[in-house]
Amino acid sequence: MDIDDILASVDRHDPTTPESTALDHQLLTRFWVAERGVSELLPWPGPLMDRMMDRVRRQIETIEDLAATSADPLPSTSTTTNLQTTTTNTNTTINLTLSILQTDLSRTQYTLRSLLRQRLSKLTKHSMHYLLRISPPTTQQTQSQSQTAEHDLRPEDSIPTVGQEAPHPPLSAPEVRFLVAHQHLLAKHYGDAFLGSFPPQLRRLDDNAGGTSMVQGPEVREVVFVRCLVEEVRVVVPPGDGVEEEVVGGTAMRMGDVWAVRWEGVRDAWRRGEVEVL
Amino acid sequence: MAFPLPRGIMPPEISFLAEMEMVTILPRQRLEGLELLGGPVEPLIPPRRASLPLWLALLLKRQRRANILPPSWLHPESLSFILDIETQYEEYKDTFSPPPPLPGQPLLHDRGEPAVATPRYTPDGERYYPAPPFLPQNVARDHVPPQELQTLPFHWLEVGNMLLDAASDDLVDPDQTRRLLKELREVRMAKIRSGVDALDAAAMGGGGVALTGVGAIELGEGRRFISGVVDGLRRIGASREQARREELAEEMANGGYDATQDDDDEMEF
Repeated sequence: MDIDDILASVDRHDPTTPESTALDHQLLTRFWVAERGVSELLPWPGPLMDRMMDRVRRQIETIEDLAATSADPLPSTSTTTNLQTTTTNTNTTINLTLSILQTDLSRTQYTLRSLLRQRLSKLTKHSMHYLLRISPPTTQQTQSQSQTAEHDLRPEDSIPTVGQEAPHPPLSAPEVRFLVAHQHLLAKHYGDAFLGSFPPQLRRLDDNAGGTSMVQGPEVREVVFVRCLVEEVRVVVPPGDGVEEEVVGGTAMRMGDVWAVRWEGVRDAWRRGEVEVL
Repeated sequence: MAFPLPRGIMPPEISFLAEMEMVTILPRQRLEGLELLGGPVEPLIPPRRASLPLWLALLLKRQRRANILPPSWLHPESLSFILDIETQYEEYKDTFSPPPPLPGQPLLHDRGEPAVATPRYTPDGERYYPAPPFLPQNVARDHVPPQELQTLPFHWLEVGNMLLDAASDDLVDPDQTRRLLKELREVRMAKIRSGVDALDAAAMGGGGVALTGVGAIELGEGRRFISGVVDGLRRIGASREQARREELAEEMANGGYDATQDDDDEMEF
């Protein structure tokens, strides 16, 4: 933690100021683009989304109030033509304001909807992978041991148990509930359709016989397009294939550069906010 | 199916992002300041210029409530200058003309100066560096440093085309501008296509291919092709890469490969 971070913690923004609204809008937009561009599920930005949803709720109330005032006839209807023209004038201004506010609201709602649906799509595509990732490893082991003894094994039994009330990074709490319900339905369907007629030991959904796991995850080596936002970012090769340390690659991005690189090579830089996904 | 679109933002979504760029307008009527979800909007008072997001400026323009002042790069002179850079200069034969600098980044002609990125902080205490579309790259300015005149912003094609469609009467010589935009687009498309040879570098771990100066819509069009080629090359080279990494792992297990490397070499000879 350096001095800048300490200053930042003192100088926290008040979420109700207009500047904070603009900043959150930029953060949401950037996160949406990143979520659309990256193959794996990104960590759920809980505080940001809470603030955004709260603002959307308040903005809808503002729009409803404004629409109500423009629909109401003014209390003094019996007036001269002079006053009537001013009334129509304010009405057109209110209508313009309303249409601007509604367009702005729809744009934000579109971003939020697209973001959430993209996340659901990633979750359903690799549901078992994310379930295994968020489930505590110890319970998973005891569970599988106790169940191999049972003769009447169902595909649902291979689904790890996950506490559904708290958020499990990178998922939010509603996403965890969705994922568990989705996988139970899917496993039941598989069981009824064809897995039920298999021998019991072949009914598991997370089978890794022969050293190959049948749970597939997203490909983190896929290429993404990033812009470097700080002085220099080095592309790294994360540990794997027997190499335990992170190897810093030979290529360095300079500020303002746009690169096509592997997602795994810039993932940590993205978490630090040093690159943005395009 | 929760979401039908493929990975990576699509051209309509890129236009949506380009509509967040700030532009300068000359309002024709008064309007109070508004608190939008995208940030506050300053009050409009007729003879005074105001900066608004492009979508709002277009909405006002279509209702004849404002005129849009075109950004300084969207001028036949600037565009033909950029076209010259893209076509005439040997050093930009395979690369795009440089983009406008980010805040804190030195201008191209004095590359000797170090870049200093100063972050803002999010309410969650994380660092945030602003980038397009949230930089004032498309506002009209009276005093533009001459080096910045000669750069195309990230959303150049979208902003240019949207202004040509909705506000061509506010532009200087719209026909010439349209022609120059088209020529620039063709020149740069050819560069993207000819850059395929270099894509092999992005397929290796720790490697990458620079596309600095590329526009958003150009990236959107080339995305499927580039990522397809790179991922194909990665799959072809996967076993070779794994072998190389296992070699490296062995080397590291045999006493590291940094400080103790010299001793090992001496032992061998």
